[in-house]
Amino acid sequence: MTAAPYNYNYIFKYIIIGDMGVGKSCLLHQFTEKKFMANCPHTIGVEFGTRIIEVDDKKIKLQIWDTAGQERFRAVTRSYYRGAAGALMVYDITRRSTYNHLSSWLTDTRNLTNPSTVIFLIGNKSDLESTREVTYEEAKEFADENGLMFLEASAMTGQNVEEAFLETARKIYQNIQEGRLDLNASESGVQHRPSQPSRPSLSSEATHAKDQCSC
Amino acid sequence: MERGSSYPNAADTSAAAVPEETTLSIVQQRFKADETVHLIFEAYQIKGREHFEGLLTLVSSSSGGTYAIISFSLLRTPLTGSNDLKINKVFPINTSFKLTTDNKGSKTEQQFELCTDDDRPSQYCYHPIRTELGSDEFNEFCAEIDSCKRTMWDGGSPSEAVLNFRWLDDYREIGEVKQELKKRESEYIVYKDIVIYCATWNVNNRPCWDNKNTLRPWLACGEKAPDIYAIGLQELETTAKAMLNGNQMQMYATQWVRKILENLHNGVEYEELQSVRLYGIMLIIIVRKQLRQHIVRCRVNSVARGVFKTLGNKGGVAVSFQLNEANICFVNSHLAAHMGNVAERNDDYKAIDMSMRFEENGLQLRTINDHDHIFWLGDLNYRIQEPIGQQRPGPMSDAQTFELMLQFDQLRMEMSYDRCFKGYTEGEIKFAPTYKYDVGTDTYDTGEKQRAPAYCDRVLWKGKRIEQLEYNGVMEIRESDHKPVYAIFRVKIKTRDDYKYKMVLSEVLKAVDKRENDSQPQIITDRPIIEFGLVRFNEPVIRDFNVYNDCSQQVDFKFKVKDLPNDICEKWLHVDPRSDSLMIDSARSIRVRMLADANSVTGLLKKICSTSDRCDFDILILHVRSGRDIFITVTGEYQPSCFGLSMETMCRTERPIGEYTLTEIKELMLDVTPMYRVPMPREYFLLIDYLHKQSGQLKGIFQSYDRCQPLSSQFNAVRDWLDTWSDDKFPGTPQTAAEALLLLLDLPEQALLEPFVDDLLATRSKADAERYIDLLSEPKRNVFKHLCLFLCEGIERGDYDANNIATIFGRVLLRSSKCNVTIDYHSRCSEFMQRFIRIENPDTVVGGNGLSSASLQT
Repeated sequence: MTAAPYNYNYIFKYIIIGDMGVGKSCLLHQFTEKKFMANCPHTIGVEFGTRIIEVDDKKIKLQIWDTAGQERFRAVTRSYYRGAAGALMVYDITRRSTYNHLSSWLTDTRNLTNPSTVIFLIGNKSDLESTREVTYEEAKEFADENGLMFLEASAMTGQNVEEAFLETARKIYQNIQEGRLDLNASESGVQHRPSQPSRPSLSSEATHAKDQCSC
Repeated sequence: MERGSSYPNAADTSAAAVPEETTLSIVQQRFKADETVHLIFEAYQIKGREHFEGLLTLVSSSSGGTYAIISFSLLRTPLTGSNDLKINKVFPINTSFKLTTDNKGSKTEQQFELCTDDDRPSQYCYHPIRTELGSDEFNEFCAEIDSCKRTMWDGGSPSEAVLNFRWLDDYREIGEVKQELKKRESEYIVYKDIVIYCATWNVNNRPCWDNKNTLRPWLACGEKAPDIYAIGLQELETTAKAMLNGNQMQMYATQWVRKILENLHNGVEYEELQSVRLYGIMLIIIVRKQLRQHIVRCRVNSVARGVFKTLGNKGGVAVSFQLNEANICFVNSHLAAHMGNVAERNDDYKAIDMSMRFEENGLQLRTINDHDHIFWLGDLNYRIQEPIGQQRPGPMSDAQTFELMLQFDQLRMEMSYDRCFKGYTEGEIKFAPTYKYDVGTDTYDTGEKQRAPAYCDRVLWKGKRIEQLEYNGVMEIRESDHKPVYAIFRVKIKTRDDYKYKMVLSEVLKAVDKRENDSQPQIITDRPIIEFGLVRFNEPVIRDFNVYNDCSQQVDFKFKVKDLPNDICEKWLHVDPRSDSLMIDSARSIRVRMLADANSVTGLLKKICSTSDRCDFDILILHVRSGRDIFITVTGEYQPSCFGLSMETMCRTERPIGEYTLTEIKELMLDVTPMYRVPMPREYFLLIDYLHKQSGQLKGIFQSYDRCQPLSSQFNAVRDWLDTWSDDKFPGTPQTAAEALLLLLDLPEQALLEPFVDDLLATRSKADAERYIDLLSEPKRNVFKHLCLFLCEGIERGDYDANNIATIFGRVLLRSSKCNVTIDYHSRCSEFMQRFIRIENPDTVVGGNGLSSASLQT
């Protein structure tokens, strides 16, 4: 009676990283609001957004930290990697420099997160095919070499945005199921919230209720 | 403290012609019409070093009949409306409610704790104020709570189940998603028809399960096969001996269930959902097999009445369950018998209605009335009470006669007076009285007592969307002195359309996400970049910026401690305040002070050197609780000065340091080649030269040195004099020059005698030490030797004391980079210096041609 049921079973912490202007905030906005944010100002700091998703009938609250990409903030943003269950590493397919810097972002991610952190590489702005500077194949090869998940996406059209965030969650959830992620470790980036259904859904509780009935 | 107007001592309301809203009236707006705010007590909470203003309100609910304290925090003071109040805690005044004071407070601040249920106690504080009557407000607050307890409990301590605090659920934090889904219920709720068959039969000890007689005329009579059967039996057995034999009674019960299952509608698969029995009173719920999976939370209970009101030969049994989204309750009761016992029957009903509870989340919470559809059946035992002397009208077979008799039906009369079954409905009775027959016949009691026929056996209902299809007695069943009765209902059951529900759920989740994202507390700052412009050594600069709360809630902010430097900011900065709370629409100015001084300049220079591009002074993380972080960039241009630079760097300059840009100086600092433009820094030489010329006025100038002390007022003039290689007269006193000299030697990251400090301290003789001195870089070596020469001269002249000089300079030149120095470190430094400044043969001194001729030319 006193404990309110949570809205979700798990919280996953994500961080979004990458050079300035690659569209990190727009990806977050597209994912949480399903809208493209035109004229998005540079992020000065760390913003965060949440969204509750369902994986395998479990409600998962994604807590997504969107970091400033400016080089001058690099040292400060490093403190936000800690305890991330997922890292979305973003570059801009129309600006090769943002792709070239990936190894440095990856180094930071590997050094500052734990080994089970799922790293997802996103080549953003896939809608701007005419000005493309990085081919899909090249990035795919980089992702494969480094064991990263990879998709090209567009925060503008929404293409693959949902997929990238959800795939990351599925992978994290799979890691939990397979015991590769220690939920008790404070750095796991996952919080478990056993929900307390007071009006349970009928299908999932039917077998349960049968036991209670024979009292 | 404010009292509700219902309180007899309420403040003079006649004077309150002012339309201004009182706190009480604002608070009252947060509650429903049947909830009254009795008292408001101002109390605040302390979290960390912050005080949070709050109100404790004592509220009662007339529907719940209970009291509670609801704690609000204030989002804005003074209050402008009920939106400025935020509920932060709910304390039902139940048996576990506790108010404790520790009596440890002061005259101006007192503390107490509130605690209820399993939660940790919450601490509150208040400022004691004595009223004119001499008692303080807190005591009145406590007294009022006590009086509420008395009202509710009337002396004794009630069982938790009796106190109804459900009304408080609206004030508790419940999952937002759940709340939102509830609101949009109409979009995914559909109503599905089901047929419920309710029946009751007083079997009068007749174990008719042992014969072959069919019950089908009773149980399989409707046109449509029911979805749910609720069958109530009474008097399975009435002899005390048998009743107390549990095994035997259980066997009866099992046999009855079997018999009934055999006599249901054909062609439908049924199964027993649940049965419940109180001695001879039994309720059997049977459902269609396919329906079973849609039923959850099935609970039973019974209330014993009868002899001593507790024995259980009379009473009620009930089954409660949830089918789809509907809560359904069936009650079977056997109420007090005999014509004259109307009041007892009413009492039995009331007792069952009041005390029947069904378990929910481990507590006996749900009452009969907490169901959407209630069916109450049984041998209610109400009789036909015809006026004395009135002739029984004709044969008892036609509807007209029944109607005439029913005029004198006790149940109908009692219901019309609201003495029982309030809110229940009964269908039209078009069948003969069901009691009392000669067993095996359709003939009314011909026995000794000649009991008047009566409608003892009834089926009533309460709730929405219930339609009665049939209501009848069954004459063909003759085993008992009662005839069985049945009623068939069509009930529209609230059901969730799974597809629509999924759609709504996804929309709700989206809305909740959006709200959560949009309602993040946030502040805006007028300047994300704090530009300090040109910053010079030992000159503090102050910049203010504003943070403003433009969201709709109170915001707590603080500057985050960073791993490096394990503080909110670098040493050369000072930020005030480091944290604060902002109410809605309020702003706060934050002051940042920049000072590169003796304590911080080295760190600043080091940072500048280690940054590839232009170096910011710092980046502050302005953190909003449960919101975003804003990076505040603190930047500016540091004007290089000789103070803090190493001897080597100074020896690389070809013009005054003041003429270099920071980038140029950075290059010089990062240069590691042993190529120097001068043998020793000109700035150093200028100071020594000045001091040398002041001979005679140098008494006591090296008396003390502490780099943490503020520098003398002329210091900055001296700084500029040095940084410009000025030809002007020295702008300070010998004292200032001494101070500047020591700083020049002391500030560089490396002590002058590094990297050989440890080695030098280990040496036993000057000769040993000199081998290391020769290994020093050229600028350091020259400065050291030259300095010793200069000091010797002064000591020789008697300007200063050798011991004193050894102590001060030893500590500076041999400054240890280690955190932990040995106990004798200082004395060893001093000893070392003594060796070099002791007056010896002047020929051993460098060059041998005196200070004045030392040349700076390469």
